[in-house]
Amino acid sequence: MKAALQKFKNLRFVKLIGFNRVVLILIIFLMYGFFTILTPILRNGSSFVNYNRVMSALNYAYFIGFLGLGVTFVIATGGIDFSIGPVMFCSALISGYCLTKFNLPLWFCIFISIAVGALFGSIGGYFVAFRHLPSFITSMALMQVAKGVGSIFTKTQSVTWPAAEATSSWYRYLVKWNNLPTGFVILCLVAAICAVVLYKTRAGRYMLCLGSNKEAVRLSGVDTRRWEMLAYILSGTLAGVAAIFYVGAYTTVQPGLGDTFNNEAIAACVMGGTSMAGGSASILGTVIGAIIVALMQEGILAMGFTISYQYVLTGLIVLGAVTADIMSRKRRN
Amino acid sequence: MNEVILTMEGIDKSFPGVHALDHVSLEVAKGEVHALMGENGAGKSTLMKVLTGIYSRDAGSIVYDGRKVCFSSPREAQAAGIVIVHQELNMMGHLTVAQNIFIGREHTRGFLIDDAQMNDAARQLFRQLNIDIDPKEKMGRLTVGKQQMCEIAKAISHEAKVIIFDEPSAALTDTEIEQLFRIIRVLRNKQYGIVYISHRMDEIKQITDRVTVMRDGKTVGTLITAQSSKDDIVRMMVGRVIFEKPKTVSHVPADAPVVLKVANLNAGRMVRDVSFELRKGEILGFSGLMGAGRTETARAVFGADIKESGEVFINGKKVQIHSPQDAVREGIGYLSEDRKRYGVVLKKNIVENSTLACLRRYVKRGDLIDSTAERKDTTAYVAALKTKTPGIEQLVMNLSGGNQQKVVVAKWLISNSNILIFDEPTRGIDVGAKQEIYELMNLLVKEGKSIIMISSEMPEILRMSDRIIVMCEGRITAEFDVAEATQEKIMNAATRDIAV
Repeated sequence: MKAALQKFKNLRFVKLIGFNRVVLILIIFLMYGFFTILTPILRNGSSFVNYNRVMSALNYAYFIGFLGLGVTFVIATGGIDFSIGPVMFCSALISGYCLTKFNLPLWFCIFISIAVGALFGSIGGYFVAFRHLPSFITSMALMQVAKGVGSIFTKTQSVTWPAAEATSSWYRYLVKWNNLPTGFVILCLVAAICAVVLYKTRAGRYMLCLGSNKEAVRLSGVDTRRWEMLAYILSGTLAGVAAIFYVGAYTTVQPGLGDTFNNEAIAACVMGGTSMAGGSASILGTVIGAIIVALMQEGILAMGFTISYQYVLTGLIVLGAVTADIMSRKRRN
Repeated sequence: MNEVILTMEGIDKSFPGVHALDHVSLEVAKGEVHALMGENGAGKSTLMKVLTGIYSRDAGSIVYDGRKVCFSSPREAQAAGIVIVHQELNMMGHLTVAQNIFIGREHTRGFLIDDAQMNDAARQLFRQLNIDIDPKEKMGRLTVGKQQMCEIAKAISHEAKVIIFDEPSAALTDTEIEQLFRIIRVLRNKQYGIVYISHRMDEIKQITDRVTVMRDGKTVGTLITAQSSKDDIVRMMVGRVIFEKPKTVSHVPADAPVVLKVANLNAGRMVRDVSFELRKGEILGFSGLMGAGRTETARAVFGADIKESGEVFINGKKVQIHSPQDAVREGIGYLSEDRKRYGVVLKKNIVENSTLACLRRYVKRGDLIDSTAERKDTTAYVAALKTKTPGIEQLVMNLSGGNQQKVVVAKWLISNSNILIFDEPTRGIDVGAKQEIYELMNLLVKEGKSIIMISSEMPEILRMSDRIIVMCEGRITAEFDVAEATQEKIMNAATRDIAV
C-alpha cells in the first residue's frame, strides 16, 4: 500500500502538478458523486446532474478564483489580505454606477473597476511594505474603507449592471457565451499568467523568497519593500477583475457586503497548497480550490440547506488546511 | 575564609559534538564576590545553566548550603535561593516596580491584588539595599541601571543566598556601575555568596575577592584577586596550545591599494568612532569579545543598520551606503554570523539562493528569469566551491552548515563582490568543513578579493588574518600586524580597562 502510494507520487504527471493537487481533483469528483446521490434523496426526486448546475457552480468559481489568485501572491510573501471581497464589491459598485448613471462606455467602466482594485491594493501594500504595519490589521481597516466608499459612492443604493439583452452588455460574454463557459477559459488564461509571474519572473522569485526569509533577501541587496507592495497591488487588481465576473454572473451588487468572499478565496488558496507561513504557493491549487468552494456551495443549495452551512464549512476548511500545513512543516523539520 | 555556601565539583556536560564542561569546579563562600572569567565559549554560561537546573549535568556534584542538590528547573533553584540577575532584564515595562518584583507571587486580599502591601514590601527591600526607587513607578520609565537594581531586589525577595550576576555592567553607565558596586558590597556584607561574570578586568580587580578562570570547558584555576595581576589572569584565559600554525607574516604587499576605508563611523552605542582601512588581497581580522561591536560595525558599513555619522570610501571614492542595496552595488557582500536568519532562504533551493543578490543580471525581456543561465552559473560555483549536494535543486534547509555557508559565498561571488565581510565564518561548522572555508578564503584573497573576518576564536584570527583589529565596547582599541600579534596582546586589548 505504502509502496504503491510512493509509486503514484513518483509518476511524472503527479510530480508535475503536485500530489496535493491530484488529491483535490479526486475530491472534486467525490463531491460531485456525493451530491449526485444525496440530492434526489434529500429533495425527493430533484437531480444534481444537469448542465445549468455546472454553469452555476462555475459562475461562483470565477470570481472566487480571481480573488484567490490575487491573495495567493500576498500569502506567498507571508502576509494576508482580508480586504479583497469588499474591494471587489466596491469596484463593482463604483464602475457599475459610472456605467448606469453617468453612461460611461463599458470598456472604460471595466477599466475603472480594475483601477479601483489596484488603488486599494496600492494603499494596503504601501502601509504593509513601507510603513511595516501588520497585513492583518491593514487589510481589516481597508475592508471597512472599501465597504464605506462603495456605499457612499452609490448613495447606499444597490447597482444593477445591464441585463443580457440591453446595450453594452457584452461584458456578460466574458462569463458565458452561447452557453459556453468563456469565463473558465479566461480564468485559466489569467491563472497561467499568474503562474508565469510567480514562478518565472524576478518579481515572483523575490515575493516567494521574502515570504520565506525577508531579512536575508534584504541583506542580499534587494529592495524588499517594492516587491512586497507589488503583491498587494496584484491582489487588489485581481479583485477588480473579479468584480467584472461577479456582475457578469449576478448583475446586482449591494453596498456594505463582500467580506464572506475573503474567507472563501483564502480557503481556496490554503487548500490548494499555498502555505500561510509564506514562501510557497500554488497557482493551480488556488484554481482547483476555487472550484471546490464553488461546487460545495452549489451542492449545499441543491440539497436544500441554507447558505449558512457554506460559512461553517469554509471556516472548517481553513482550519483543517492550515493545520495540515503546519503539521507537515513540523514533520519536515 | 568564610563558610562555603556553594561547591561545584567535577561537573561534566556534553552536547552532541561538544564537550562543553570537562570536570569543572567552582567554590563560592558566604560574603564573597567570586569572579568567573573566560573567553566566549569557555563554558561560563553553561556552568551557570547547569547550576540553576536549565541543563542537567552528566557527572559531578553540587553541594549548596551543606547538602547535595540537583535542581531540575530554574524555578527550583530560585526557590532554594540561587538566583541569576541576567544581562538582559526580563521586565514588564508597563507594570510598576513593585508589581514586577512580586510577579507570580502577588500579595492578595481575597481575589484582589493588594498593591499597597506589595509597595510596602518593595520599599522595605530597597531600604535594605540602600536604594532610592519609588515602588509605584512604572518599570519602563526607569533607567537600565535602576531596572537592574529592581532585579537585584527581586532576587533578595526570593530569600536568595547565592546571586549570580551575568555581565551586569554591560549596559550600564559609569555612575550606574558605581551604584551597582555599592549594592554588591552591601550584599557581600550581608553574607550573600556572589558569582560575578564579566570581561572587564578593572571591575574584577575592583569588586571581586577571587577569580576562577575557565578555558575550553575546563577550570584553569582560581586566584585571589588581590594577589594577582591582570597579566596573570589574561595568561590563564588564553594559555591554550594552538595546534594550527598561525600566520607569521602578512601576505599583503606593502603597496597594495586601499579598497575600503571607513572613517569615524558611529552607529548606536556599539559603534563609536570606528576608522579602519582594508587593502586589496587582505584578510583583516576583527577580534574582540562578544558584544564588542564588531557585528554592529559590519552591519553599519553594509547599510543594514543606520549610521549616525562617518564616511565610507571605496577605491578612494567616497560612497553613500544607506541600505544593503547600495552596499551590494558597491561590491560589498556580507556573510552573517546567523546564516539561517540573515544568510540563506532555507525553503528555497541552491539556485534561487545563489542568484538572489544579482537576479537582475539573469532577467530577460519582461522580467522573465533566464533559468538556463542561472542554473549554469550555479552549477559552476557548486563545483568550484565543492559544495556537497545531490543537485542544485536541493533546498538549502537540507544542507549542512558548511555547505550553507558555501551557498552564501557563491551568492556574493556570482554578484561580483570584491569586498567580503565574513562574520564568524565557521560558527556551527564542523572541523573538516572549517578547513575548507579557510582554504576558500585564502583562495579568494589570492584572486584579489578583500576580506574582513570577524571572529571570536583566537586561533582563527591568528591563523587567517594579515592584520588584526581589536574592538572593545564599540571602539577600536588596538591594531596589530599578524607578525607582532599574540594572544596575550589581543586579549589585553579586548578586555581593556574602561577609559575614564
